[in-house]
Amino acid sequence: MARVDFKDMIRFTEELVVNRKMFEGLELEALETYIGMDTRPAWEFKTPLASGFYKPHVLKGSDKIDKITYGELHYMNRAKYCALNFTCSDDYDLPIFACEFDETAPRLSITLDLMPVVDIAVHPEYRKKYLDPVADVWRTYRSLPGLSKDGRCLVQRRYAPWPWARASLSPYPIDGRVEEQESRYGVLDAVAAYARIWLEMMKKAEPIRDPGYKNEMLTRKRAIQKYYRELDPGGEVIKKLFGEEKMKLFVSLIF
Amino acid sequence: MAEITWAPYFEKMKELLAGLQPVGIKSCDGRDSAAAENIATPAGCGTVQAFTAEKIEKIVLGKLIINDEKQIGLCAIFPAEGYELPIFFSRWAEDKTSVGIFVDLIPTVDCLVDEPYRKKFCEPLGPLWEKFASLPGIAPEEHDGLRACASIIYTAAVIPIEREGMRLAALAPHTEYLKSYIEHCTSAAAAADVTKRAEMQRKIQCVRTTLKEYFISALAAPAGKACGAAMAEQLPDIFF
Repeated sequence: MARVDFKDMIRFTEELVVNRKMFEGLELEALETYIGMDTRPAWEFKTPLASGFYKPHVLKGSDKIDKITYGELHYMNRAKYCALNFTCSDDYDLPIFACEFDETAPRLSITLDLMPVVDIAVHPEYRKKYLDPVADVWRTYRSLPGLSKDGRCLVQRRYAPWPWARASLSPYPIDGRVEEQESRYGVLDAVAAYARIWLEMMKKAEPIRDPGYKNEMLTRKRAIQKYYRELDPGGEVIKKLFGEEKMKLFVSLIF
Repeated sequence: MAEITWAPYFEKMKELLAGLQPVGIKSCDGRDSAAAENIATPAGCGTVQAFTAEKIEKIVLGKLIINDEKQIGLCAIFPAEGYELPIFFSRWAEDKTSVGIFVDLIPTVDCLVDEPYRKKFCEPLGPLWEKFASLPGIAPEEHDGLRACASIIYTAAVIPIEREGMRLAALAPHTEYLKSYIEHCTSAAAAADVTKRAEMQRKIQCVRTTLKEYFISALAAPAGKACGAAMAEQLPDIFF
């Protein structure tokens, strides 16, 4: 088993935002208030046990984005809990880009997905439009050692203890655990590939015009957000570290 | 090369389906299903049998053996209109070296939003889903459309046959999921809520369409070898 020292763990935000220029060509501006909360306490935080940042943004001059958040929580120089979330505003039906990237010495745990905001069994055209574009990427990266093992492909299983979370996933999740450092960077490549595809789709997105469809979409979107904000086990850890108020803020920005 | 003893997929499933007290029917969706009951061509043989039952619109079970090289088995169960039950779907694709499986209780509502439905029909199968994760060759279903309809507890795999007992082991997910489905049928009730009934009916029609498309893209060609192109064209309507 490959163990990775804290100092050698992936610099998630730096790799994506700086080195890979994830948001090049997009004018992000800080989102200072989110669902009635002042977001600034999340921009940088530090306690004896943990430090980090969650930085939420919107797109300058555009109504398409509810939030684009990237962030990292470093815990006792032992682990990094990184997040990347892109959520469109309620007039758009793009899937929620969600990424949990949690690195410890023995392994990297990843859940990366474009979570559909409608029931894709009922709306196959939604799958074709917004989810199938990542099909090739999914087929490439799901074979990374750890996500596949001994002839078995184990994606769609990391969330085994949380049925509600599995129900939120698309048919193309990259989720599971990898150990080798090379595979950890492979996962980062997958994150970048999914993010770029989402950002390209966002640029072309048109507002929803059908009120019935919008209502259906918002029902599912709200259900996903409620589940992750109230039941994500990561929220409990954040609550212990930072208290209830900051937990509510942090989890709302992460999801 | 030694002859294969094909796994008794059809026989085991039919034995369990007896628990629903099925009654044979001769046509499905305007197609003459009786004509599919005895399939025999120079390239293959098989049977497709259709039934109805209490609370069930139709049950279709079939197997085709193609050129003595491949066995395909399918079982689909659609609930009667208004009944709060998933769609049962199982696929068996067996050749000399592997068995490809898919089995699921496909939800007839959005089971992210409808938590009671998920807790009733999907979550109880969680322990079996976890158990079957240890099957060799476990993997997500390859067909994107079918995977998009699947529940959170579907089981799919391409199991390499390294010893003959593995063919029978590969049957277990099908029989176990079917047993669960049959238990649900016993207690199933019609949904009282008109909106819920409409939601279920809409989703059933969508899943039906996807399953037909799946059959046409993935199974019609090999099935056509065993039963002829004309019959293969009718099978999606008969099954789904």
